[in-house]
Amino acid sequence: MENSLTASTPIVSTDRNADAALIERYLSGDMTAFDELMIRYERQIYRVCYRFVENREDAMDLAQEVFIKAFEHLPSFRRESGLKTWLYRIAINHCINHVKKHSQEFVEVSEAIGSVHPSAHAEMEARQQRDHFRNMVGLLPPKQKAILELRIHEQLTYDEIARMSGRSVSTIKASVFFALEKLRKLVKDQKVRKT
Amino acid sequence: MFGHLKAEEFVNLVEGVKLPSERHAHLGACARCSAAWKSMESVHKEFSSLERLGTDIPEPDWDEFRNSVRSELLSRSVQRASAVRRWTGWPIRPAMAWGLSLVIAVAVTTGGFLWVQRTAAPVTVSSVPVAAPVDVDTEANVVDSAISDWSQTDLFDELVNLEEQEQETLRLLLTVAQQ
Repeated sequence: MENSLTASTPIVSTDRNADAALIERYLSGDMTAFDELMIRYERQIYRVCYRFVENREDAMDLAQEVFIKAFEHLPSFRRESGLKTWLYRIAINHCINHVKKHSQEFVEVSEAIGSVHPSAHAEMEARQQRDHFRNMVGLLPPKQKAILELRIHEQLTYDEIARMSGRSVSTIKASVFFALEKLRKLVKDQKVRKT
Repeated sequence: MFGHLKAEEFVNLVEGVKLPSERHAHLGACARCSAAWKSMESVHKEFSSLERLGTDIPEPDWDEFRNSVRSELLSRSVQRASAVRRWTGWPIRPAMAWGLSLVIAVAVTTGGFLWVQRTAAPVTVSSVPVAAPVDVDTEANVVDSAISDWSQTDLFDELVNLEEQEQETLRLLLTVAQQ
């Protein structure tokens, strides 16, 4: 039991009934349920947070705050949506607020990273290009970026993202479109500036 | 119906979802839609590749992470409990005692006042007719008749109590007075 708790392997199955049972156990004071809930979702939530801040320490802080918020509000969790959806929603809102609050810092850091890399070696160039692209992703509006990350990197379905954000599937698809469009324009501008 | 592709259709296309035949035909014929799709697809690919290249998301020590969440939760619940205790604990008790005594004093005063009001109420009601404006002449008549009633009764009592000799003397006096 102890081994399974500390292994921290991501459990793909997010069965709602299992979640409900774990929530009941946690609310009745069973702390092993806390560990099980954490193991189920810690990795996913941390990854979402990491995508916003691209920094291990900040991502850990954000993920910790997300879980604290979630566990504190667990008694009022109405279970209209799944626990996964609920946790993602908390995480995304928390990260978006964090990014909005610290947007100036991010821009400065991003610019600094962009200016550091020399463009001599081919591998270095590729890396630099990737960094530039990553910086451009960082320039997307936080909500668009979140949707793009959830869809493409976290591979959530449009239904899941729609439930998380309380919007329709069409709106989410439109957001993905506009995010890709904006990225396309940013890449184009970058190329023009280089030439 | 056969206009340019919509945002949703572009996204479907980029993700490999097949379009209805007539929309696909439009895509083949329309240079603008075709160019937009190709550039969007390349951006989509590049964005997806970030994940493949960036699979090295540094992972934290999960045990440590879990412990920090647990201890933070515990410390917050302790803080909340002590905050509640602060409001019901010793520092607030003198203030609560003062407040309670003030409330009791106000309640006793109000109760006493209401009780006095209630007991005084019948007197007030019966005094209303007396306090009502009364004709001065009528009042004088009432007083006179009361006095005369009293005098006549008193005189009659005295006459009844007179002895025979005194009665004779009185009769003589009355006779003389009549004459």
